[in-house]
Order: sequence, then structure tokens, then C-alpha cells
Amino acid sequence: MRNLSDQEIIDSVRKGNDSDYSIIINRYKNKAFSMLKRMLKNEFDAEEILQDCFLKAYNSLINFKGEAKFSTWFYRIVYNSALTKLSSQKRKIESEMSSVEEHFDLQSEHNADDFEKKDIQEFIQDIIKKLPERHSAIITMFYLNEMSIEEISDVMGISISNVKVMLHRSRNTLRDLFLKSKLSEEFI
Amino acid sequence: MIRITDEILNKYLDGDLSREEAEQVKSGLRASEELMKQYNALKLVHQKLFVMKEDEVSPGFTDTLMMQIVKRKFAIPKQQKYFIFSIATFITLLCLVILGLSISAIISSAPSSIGDSKSVLVSVTNLSDGLVKTLKHTFSGKGLSIIGSIFSFLIIISGYFFFEMQKRAKTSLGNGQQL
Repeated sequence: MRNLSDQEIIDSVRKGNDSDYSIIINRYKNKAFSMLKRMLKNEFDAEEILQDCFLKAYNSLINFKGEAKFSTWFYRIVYNSALTKLSSQKRKIESEMSSVEEHFDLQSEHNADDFEKKDIQEFIQDIIKKLPERHSAIITMFYLNEMSIEEISDVMGISISNVKVMLHRSRNTLRDLFLKSKLSEEFI
Repeated sequence: MIRITDEILNKYLDGDLSREEAEQVKSGLRASEELMKQYNALKLVHQKLFVMKEDEVSPGFTDTLMMQIVKRKFAIPKQQKYFIFSIATFITLLCLVILGLSISAIISSAPSSIGDSKSVLVSVTNLSDGLVKTLKHTFSGKGLSIIGSIFSFLIIISGYFFFEMQKRAKTSLGNGQQL
């Protein structure tokens, strides 16, 4: 059963086998949770929103025509729900272009030693948490969820070039902070 | 010769440059130690991001969610609940009114000498006879037509509202998610 494709599982759920939806939940829960946690910067909110996302997806399965991949469709629900939550928290949500121009200067805000960790993995995780929500969403989708730039652009509703710009900026920030840290002496 | 910026380094890392541009970057990296350091750091971050661990939801997440789904599936919608309740209340009240009227009619038509009558059986028979007569009178001829018309009218009205409610529920389900 675990080897079934998303579409096969969805077809089965549509036929009335509701329990099969748990396969979809188990398949996406941790990846979507990682994305939400990094965007919302709050574990409790992330889990609450994730529950809503799965319920929304279940209720809307009838509308899912299979033109896009289920994962893309589902992550769009997750991404939009996170933005709605952030908006309700009166957080600043900027338009596509201003978001690309989004200024985040973690280097001046934080000393590299703030992120000083024994492990480079832990170091990177810490900096991702500090990235603006859209940038951390892109990093999570690209690296953790292994989505293509096209899929990310589809999920976020922005152009491919803007996704690339945001991805490169996030990567550069991580690199610059890494180079400033003591860890770089060990690795480079 | 292209100017090797951060953007170019990222594109080189992603394999987004043409062969010619890639060659230029390669020679540029060989020529500058600082540039090589920048590129190596970028590459390391890129590699480490690929092995990033995912966060885990709390245990029991799937079970809780599946329980919610089942609960919602079998739950009667609030609107529908109110509708059924109001119809049931109306019918019950109507029955009670009919019953009350019948009883009062029987009592008023019953002989005043119930207490003086010879046996309880006779009075009960009289009462039941009166009840049957009243019901017969109510549900026959003109009375039946009036009651039938009222019920038909109520059924038509209820049917219309019920149909509208179902239609609205379907539409909201269809348009609820513009995804």
C-alpha cells in the first residue's frame, strides 16, 4: 500500500476508503511541518495550521483534477495557509517584487558567534530559522522537499527568476555567516 | 571575460551557465584564492542543505487527524440540524394542539354526570366515542381538505428550503477552495 502513487491513493479516498488518507498524511506531514515551522517560527502554530491544511485538502479532494502534482497542490495550501496566519498575526506580507527586494541583513543583526555551534548542520538550521518566511519556505521546498524551481514558483505564485533570486540570496546569507564563523576554519 | 559575482557563482553551482561561461568561471576560480574560498563555502552550504533533517510532528498526529475527519464526515451540518429540529418541533406542537383540542371537545361534550354514572366503563366508552367522533369530524370532509392543504403547503415550503440549503452547501464545497 505504501508504494502507491498519490493519485492512486486519492482515487481510493474518493471511492470512500477514507482510511487511505492516512497514507497521504504520513507521507507529507513532516515535510509540510518543517516548512510551516520555519515560516511561522512557532511549533505550536505550525502543527495547528498543518491540521487545518490536511482537513482543507481532504474537503477539496473533489476539486483536485490531477492536472498538477498532488504535492504541488498540497504545498500551495500549506504555503497560503501560512501566509494567512502570518497576515492575521499582523505580520508584514510584502508583494512579489518587494519580497524579492526584501532586505534581510542577518549579518549586521547577528554576530556570527550567535550561531556558533559545534555542528555545521545545527548552525545552518539555526540561520534558516532567522530567514524571512518566504526565503525559509524556498530553502525548505528546494532542499528538504526536493521540489524543482518550477514547482516552487507554482506553489508561491511568483516567477521562476524570482524564486532563483530568493534562493541565491538565502544561500549567500548562509555562506557569508558560515565564513564569519569559526566553523569555516575547520571546513574551508 | 565575465565578472564573477555571487549571482554567477550560484548559477555555476546550479549548472545554469553555458559551457563557455562555465569555463571562464573555472579559470577565474583557479586564479583567485578568495573567489575559490567563496565558492567552496557556497558549495558546502549547498551540500549541507541537501542533508538537512526534517522536523517531526507530535506523535499521534495522524490518528487525531483521522478521527477529526471521520467525526466531521458523519456529523450533521449545523444548519441541517436546526432545520430538522424546527420541523420536528412544529409537527410535535401541531399534534399536541390537535390532541388538546380533541380532548377539550370531548370533555365539553361528555355528560356532566360522569361522577354519578353507574360505571367507570360507561364513562370511558363515552369518552372514547367522543374522541373518535371528534377525530372523524376533524379528519373528514372539509376538515380533512383543510388539514391536507396546510400539510401539503408546509411540505412544499420545507422541501424548497431543504433543496436550497443542499444547493448552497454543495456550492460552498465546490468554491470553498480556489486551489
